[in-house]
Amino acid sequence: GCWIPLLAPQDILYRGVLRRKLRTGKSTATLDFTKQLGHFFVDHPEDAFGSLGQLLHQNFYLGNSKLRRRARDSTIRMTALMEEIDRLEARRGCPRQHLVPRLRWFSHLCRDWLFEMPLGLLADCVHEELLLQWADLLFDDSPTGGALAWLPPEEMGARTGRLVYPGGQAMNHLYFQDVVLEELPRARGSPVQFELNGRIRQVAAARVDGEDFLGVRSDYHCGVWRVPGRTGAAPTPLQVIRTDVPASCLTVSPHLPGELAVCTQSGAVYLWSIEAGLQRLRHDPQTMFFRDHSPWRWSDFTAHPRVLSCADRTGLQCLDSRAPERCHFDLFKVGEEAGCQQGERVVLPMYLGRAHPSQHLVTTQFSVYVLDERLPMVPMLKWAHMMKAPPLFAHLTPGDPGRSHKVLLGTSHTQELLLLQYRGGSQSACQLAGPPQKLHSIAGCLHHLPTQLPHRHHLLQQRLSIPAAGLAAALQEDGPRESLLVFQLSEAGDIFCQRLTHKAAQPPAPTTGDKATKPPVPTSGDEPAAAPGSSPLFETPAGSPLGLSNEEEEEEEQTFYFQKRLFTRKELETPAGPSALHQQARQRLRQAMREGGCIQCWDLPAPRPPPLPQPLEP
Amino acid sequence: SSSEHKLNFKKSKEACLSYIQDAMLQKQWKRAAEFLTFYIESLEKDFSREYVNPSEMIWRIGSEILCHHSHSSMKEFNSFTEQMKTLGVKRYLKVCLEHAFHLLCNGQIDEAYQNLSMAESWRFGEQTAIQDKEMKLVQAYRGLLDYYSWSKQKNILLEHGLDGFEDLSVEQEMHSCFRKAAVNLKEIIKVPGVWDFFVKCYVDLLEFYGDHNEARQVLNEYAYNSKFPANPNAHVYLYQFLKRHGESKKSLISALKILHDIVPSHELMIDFNTMLQKSKKRKKRRLGLEVIFAALDYAGWKENVKAWSCLARQVKQIVISDKHLDWIKQEWNSRKDWWPAFHFSRYLAKRNWQENKSLSYEKALVAGILLGKDCKYFKYVSHQGCKAQVKRFRILKKFVNKHNLVYVRISG
Repeated sequence: GCWIPLLAPQDILYRGVLRRKLRTGKSTATLDFTKQLGHFFVDHPEDAFGSLGQLLHQNFYLGNSKLRRRARDSTIRMTALMEEIDRLEARRGCPRQHLVPRLRWFSHLCRDWLFEMPLGLLADCVHEELLLQWADLLFDDSPTGGALAWLPPEEMGARTGRLVYPGGQAMNHLYFQDVVLEELPRARGSPVQFELNGRIRQVAAARVDGEDFLGVRSDYHCGVWRVPGRTGAAPTPLQVIRTDVPASCLTVSPHLPGELAVCTQSGAVYLWSIEAGLQRLRHDPQTMFFRDHSPWRWSDFTAHPRVLSCADRTGLQCLDSRAPERCHFDLFKVGEEAGCQQGERVVLPMYLGRAHPSQHLVTTQFSVYVLDERLPMVPMLKWAHMMKAPPLFAHLTPGDPGRSHKVLLGTSHTQELLLLQYRGGSQSACQLAGPPQKLHSIAGCLHHLPTQLPHRHHLLQQRLSIPAAGLAAALQEDGPRESLLVFQLSEAGDIFCQRLTHKAAQPPAPTTGDKATKPPVPTSGDEPAAAPGSSPLFETPAGSPLGLSNEEEEEEEQTFYFQKRLFTRKELETPAGPSALHQQARQRLRQAMREGGCIQCWDLPAPRPPPLPQPLEP
Repeated sequence: SSSEHKLNFKKSKEACLSYIQDAMLQKQWKRAAEFLTFYIESLEKDFSREYVNPSEMIWRIGSEILCHHSHSSMKEFNSFTEQMKTLGVKRYLKVCLEHAFHLLCNGQIDEAYQNLSMAESWRFGEQTAIQDKEMKLVQAYRGLLDYYSWSKQKNILLEHGLDGFEDLSVEQEMHSCFRKAAVNLKEIIKVPGVWDFFVKCYVDLLEFYGDHNEARQVLNEYAYNSKFPANPNAHVYLYQFLKRHGESKKSLISALKILHDIVPSHELMIDFNTMLQKSKKRKKRRLGLEVIFAALDYAGWKENVKAWSCLARQVKQIVISDKHLDWIKQEWNSRKDWWPAFHFSRYLAKRNWQENKSLSYEKALVAGILLGKDCKYFKYVSHQGCKAQVKRFRILKKFVNKHNLVYVRISG
């Protein structure tokens, strides 16, 4: 095929802070290689030179006193060498530093035999790992899919559901927490807990025959749990598989109990059945439609329980698990047919079966697409989401007939959260319903919290700006009042929640006044332009249908800490007007543009610290 | 320095854009509009080579804001769009088309028509391939509006025709609308693509004037030309056309056969199965069984009573006649490892019984034959049915008991 330039992580990191830094040359990947190796030798001496160390330790002497003549034949006194090393350490950074001949001689002498693993090989591995970590810092696709799941109550009227999420210092504990949906969602009892031996990357759930099946993915292990529908019934672990190469995807079948799809970074796709075991459907380290060096793979289910979709960064294919080599068709391809941009890549596919049995969602770093497997390759809906980072998380809340389906998109590092609504698919064409809406990010709730002491404020700020790790939503119906609770998980294991209250659109009200003063604005029923009869030639064929869409979700400010009670919970006030910072920025911008556009110290907030879980005193 | 100046200008431009975006996503249209007025300055030094350049950005954002802003009017929208048309030549046709859509959404059909006609007469330099495509679209949409007025006049005439009243001028205008519409619609559907709406209108026109051959040719081309995407609707339209014109069973079946190959889960598969079941030919009845089994593979059909009754009827027929049990056997072979969990679990038996008794009846019949009288689904439903003293469930139980050995033969 044709050759297309490789995708660097920078391309995926659309307009990110790090990318800008890279471009301006302010920071590069600094790999202090010697230091990394030095740390390894000090931290793991047994692994570095265990066997020879044991063999030779009789022949090395570290004491201060002189060696006896007889011992001198078979023992070397290392004290002087150690002193040289200490002195070298003290002179570190000195331009005139040079290696002492004795040290050079010693290292030359023993570099071939002292190390457990040949030094060159070890160096290669370390180098590779450092580059990998640097790439991860730019774009980490391991949390794709998200690690938060909401298991709704079985009966329609019941109010107790379950949240499933990872926690603990290493994010290796799996929690099942009963949650009662009331005015504010309330945790009931203490969570059921499982300790796993790896960081949990993804939690996926699906309900089949009244039971929830839950897939949990860590790098080298995938597990499946069954959660009976009755409230209070304990979740049971069913099976675990181990992979040699990190798994990149785990999805649960919405059709058959105990079936999952697993992908690994080696390009393998498996159908995993609790009863029948693993079946490999495909193994191809190459990408499907053009060359792209990403090892990321994804798979999901389709309208046919035996047909799975397989994705890599270049597109999606569907294949029949009964004859995976023979029966497959292309569902989506990054390219001209879908009107893709240069460098556009698939970030997250999702089966939208609960909205319409043959619909699929595909997100890229630029756009979202709704596809129909009955008419593959031609997107039914395309919309440029303009999010600052690629959306790694998505959640579907299907609407009843005549109502819109709600799709939530979430990003990791920028914590963005976007709600779009669409309708159609069977009788009418697919259309967005109303303008998309931005929801609150985790970091945004800081100024709704009570005033803190400065150092606590700083700690809190850090804690709240940790990347998001997952997203889930629960539909709550209290008679006529309907709302959507949106849960967001951070990499520190905190869960946040906000409520969107449904309001039927009002007739256009000219008296609303200045909308800008009240951030959550009441919306009127006006509609964007729509094309009569959408055509796939145009990128945005349709806004909303003529005279349809009398339903829009609207937000109410209700953000609160959920898992760990940092503060006494109380009603939080809605903010009045844009923040002071915002106004300041606005003024500065206005002025700068008048003067011809030169703004000093216009830097965005400093890049966030690495996502280490940081304990915070309660 | 100048490079720093440039960089900072770029930065503030980006920041401004992100403010606009932020405001729009929170439906703060007024704030977004304010920021947009600043952003317009960015046009001054527009050297960007980005995918979407600022002038396009302004057009897109501006029209979105004007659609939602509480103080905006149609007049403002029109004048904004006119400005945008002159801002970028390459985008002219696109802007025109979207403008027309907006006018249509606001019920201003005549204005939209004028707009499209004007766009059609526009020329700029040498036409590129994209412009050519866009021009075709503009023409096609104008054709659609011609079709719309044609059908309006047709209805007037039909109504008045009943009263024995004839109006020559209306009739003449109707014919001229037809000619204008037909020319443009014919052009667009030659380009490979999905043109469902245009094709339907064009065929309607042709059929009204009795040009069935042309209509058939258009539909055949739309369905079978390999340059077009494999569009199931194309085959549906062809089938409906053939049915309207009383075509032979054979051609109807061949049209539906292709639809079955592309989309086995299509709604028309029930009609297809009914048609095939009635056939005298063995091969066709065999195909009918295949079709209905394939349809029921899909999640969307799980609770479709019609489909289940089709399958139940055919399976029952085969069992009673005791011929062609091998057909069932072949179909069942690739399904026996997952249909029981997918269709015939105890949970589903309970739910189907509660929600839809006739569905559970049809499914129980199929389950009883395919899996024997001891299968969970059949056992539960027949038990409940007998308990509720419903006659047909008792007959069902007898029937399955009588043919209980079938399942051994088909799964062996």
